Amino acid sequence: MNEIAIRFILNGKEVSVKAPPTFTLLRLLRERLGLTGAKAGCERGECGACTVILDGEPVTACLVLAPQVEGRRVETIEGIGNGEELHPLQQAFIDESAAQCGYCIPGMIMAAKALLDRDPGPSREEIKTGLSGNLCRCTGYTKIIKAVEVVAGKSRKGSESC
Amino acid sequence: MVPPVKDRDQGIGMTEYRYIGKRTPRVDARDKVTGKTVYSTDLYPDGMLRARVLRAAIPHGKILRLDVSRARKLPGVEAVLTHQDIPGHNGFGIVTPNWPVLCVDRVRYRGDALALVAAVDEETAEEALKLIEVEYEPLPIIDTPEEALAEGAVQIHRDGNIQHRMDIPPKGDVEKALAESEIVLSQTYRTQFMEHAYLETEGGVAIYDEKTGVITVWCGDQYPFRDQLQVARSLDWDPLKIRIIGSPTGGAFGGKDEISVQIHLALLAYRTRKPVRLHWSREESIVAGPKRHAMNSTFRIGAGKDGRLRGIDVQVVANTGAYDTIAGPVLNLALESSPGPYKYPHSRFRGLSVYTNSAMGGEFRGFGAPQVVFGLEQELDKLAGKLKLDPIELRLLNAVEQGDISALGHRLQTSAGIKDTLEAARKTDLWRRREEIKRDLAAAHPRLRFGVGVASEWHAVGLGVGLPDFANVTIGIGEDGGITLRTGAIEIGQGNLTAYAQILAEALECGIERITVIHGDTFACPDSGSVTASRSVLINGNAILNGVKKLQPLLVRVAARALDLPEENLAYGQGRVFSQIDNGRSLSLDELAARAAEFALPLQVTGAAVFATSDKDFGDGLPHNYYTYITQLALVGVDPETGEVEVRKVISIPEMGRAINLAGVEGQCEGGVVMGIGYTLYEKVAVEKGEFLTKGFSTYILPTTLDSPEQETVIVEKPEKSGPYGGKGVGEAPTVPVTPAVANAIHDAVGLRFTRLPITPEDIVAGLEGGER
Ligand code: FES
Ligand code: FES
Repeated sequence: MNEIAIRFILNGKEVSVKAPPTFTLLRLLRERLGLTGAKAGCERGECGACTVILDGEPVTACLVLAPQVEGRRVETIEGIGNGEELHPLQQAFIDESAAQCGYCIPGMIMAAKALLDRDPGPSREEIKTGLSGNLCRCTGYTKIIKAVEVVAGKSRKGSESC
Repeated sequence: MVPPVKDRDQGIGMTEYRYIGKRTPRVDARDKVTGKTVYSTDLYPDGMLRARVLRAAIPHGKILRLDVSRARKLPGVEAVLTHQDIPGHNGFGIVTPNWPVLCVDRVRYRGDALALVAAVDEETAEEALKLIEVEYEPLPIIDTPEEALAEGAVQIHRDGNIQHRMDIPPKGDVEKALAESEIVLSQTYRTQFMEHAYLETEGGVAIYDEKTGVITVWCGDQYPFRDQLQVARSLDWDPLKIRIIGSPTGGAFGGKDEISVQIHLALLAYRTRKPVRLHWSREESIVAGPKRHAMNSTFRIGAGKDGRLRGIDVQVVANTGAYDTIAGPVLNLALESSPGPYKYPHSRFRGLSVYTNSAMGGEFRGFGAPQVVFGLEQELDKLAGKLKLDPIELRLLNAVEQGDISALGHRLQTSAGIKDTLEAARKTDLWRRREEIKRDLAAAHPRLRFGVGVASEWHAVGLGVGLPDFANVTIGIGEDGGITLRTGAIEIGQGNLTAYAQILAEALECGIERITVIHGDTFACPDSGSVTASRSVLINGNAILNGVKKLQPLLVRVAARALDLPEENLAYGQGRVFSQIDNGRSLSLDELAARAAEFALPLQVTGAAVFATSDKDFGDGLPHNYYTYITQLALVGVDPETGEVEVRKVISIPEMGRAINLAGVEGQCEGGVVMGIGYTLYEKVAVEKGEFLTKGFSTYILPTTLDSPEQETVIVEKPEKSGPYGGKGVGEAPTVPVTPAVANAIHDAVGLRFTRLPITPEDIVAGLEGGER
């Protein structure tokens, strides 16, 4: 199949990669860029396991065609920590034992990050709504919601004190 | 300063533990939150081919012609295989291997596989599937056991349509007991096929190494050593040259205990001499993979006016789909679970598992119990209502204790804490103040009606009497003091690796960070049995403790040589070997490891354990010797206009001996509860005339964050002396009684009983219009 070059900013770095124009962003990340954090749970936009952040918005990478990201910014689970340092959401997911099989977790954390990037101190209900497109079959969501609340709560307190 | 701990009390006393019963963070958490965990479907080896499976186009029929010649000629296609390309046994199945690897002359359900394609890319593989020509002669399609058992019904298998029949030897005279009972209840309950819906669908990669003759298959599973045998049997290959790497798994819940892609991948990798990748689509996973069996269960229960249960008669008919896999044991466990943890002097349990052309029934967390407990626990609620007894009182009145004879007739030899869980349930705020809580909620939400329900369960742990129920582990200490634990067990998400590391660290009294767990690889680990039946912590835990008992004397031997002291004067404790004379000189694990290397004394042991079994044997694994006991409470709000049910709160009160990891037990409860809510209210694999109406998450509705209720887990400890630190297991039970607890809560809210799952808004609206059902 004919391949085209796609250039975009991936986790802060410019990349150029070749792929068939029919490739989804999910396949581009997983099969051409070796970033397998985003998962393929349905490839129909119905599970959220492939969630990444595109120009600040959470998207299901299985529904975005690779050429659509040309020139745009894509953030994935691999890019949100800072080297060895974890993103506060990642730390909270560990502390709250929020990951079981873990397959939904990268998508869940990216959806939560997009939510907190927009509003650092969402309420419990807003967190639930913000994550409602991300399925998890293992945890019942309790500890996932709690982990996001912990991070949101810290920032709520932070903003109150200043 | 002083040593002294030789053989730690394993959980009966009040010992303060460093790891057991704590919230030890999971050993795999960091990799999971950073996206670094590599699942088998994350592998894309260089030069790999993509595989696809041709599935049956009709649910039931003879194959008149299967022609793959055009597909073989398509450029980019490297192999197209049919049944003719299977060197060994063309079938797989945990118990009876009659599920065809590739169909020969007949298809029996929509998920049946007919041909395999491997091609350079997905698109070509897909294209090749379309070029395969199949001609069928359709046969009548059987959806239900009733149709299958009707006279003149088409026979799905040569031996007929009955897959398995189980009659547990009756206890006493149940007919007489029912005739003499002051109250007799009878009702049939019907349940649906349920999808596992693990987020990672079945998939993996295989590579054939021509030099060594080894075929390696990476595929998230539950028992790599059984996969190894099943792959070897179909390829007619030396099992020792089949390497299965089955861990980690992106969710399993019983659905990955059976073969999915393993044999197909191995066949293609061997044929093409190239790495091959196969990853089922969500639709394929729903259509082809096993489901929770649909079952109809009929209960007849007799009781006295005093509320004491006199007799129970249960008949279960399971829709098992086209092939066996593990249907017999699932039916058996449904029967064993059906009386619940209660005493009845008279009982009879009969079951039938029937072939159909519907979805494939298989292993699923709960293993036959959710289907029957849904019925039993509503019947008990009805009985409490008739007697004007508190539902918890009624259950307490009849609950078993350790040492009692069960409803089935075996003695309950291990810890049995159902009474403790019921007592704890009675003490919760939700139960004590339930009328007040409902009133307050109704005042705040005048449109809704609120209800509180309770239900309990006993859930068998382990495979049962007569089955090979064992685990092996190896424990090694390297030169640097690092400890490696090897187990064939799979991490399917439940956190068993962390529990093993906790048990090992506790037993060796060392830091957990020293321990690396290597798991689920048939070439790197010993056979530890399947990760199923809530068994893996108990049996691997015991194997670890038995290993430690062999490791400590080795460490003492090293110390004896290093310190030049007699072994009798040395003892292991607190992660060191101490001298009991000589002012307590000691060597740390690091020092011992270094000295052992110097002396060329390998610090390597194996540990093994086998389940203790019941005093009775009814055949086919019945009955069991260990049970998890659990009581759950649910608070629901029902909208009488829309029929919508909101589960607002669930409290789980499990007794699993001792909790090894608190957060792990909570996680099992929270996840089990939401899975149970899905089963109760939304989830159903709809199949009509053998065709699947639900093929993805837009039609198969899973609970989301918005359906996740407030949850509380109240752990009741009743350490079991034959379990590791008193632990039994907890993986399955929490997903079971939540269903009748919600059903009982719905009844409490709106006065309606439902005998069919899922309970939909339409059912509730219709029920309210038609009055009490
Ligand atoms: S894989 Fe993209 S939403 Fe499921
Ligand atoms: S942790 Fe398994 S799907 Fe969420």
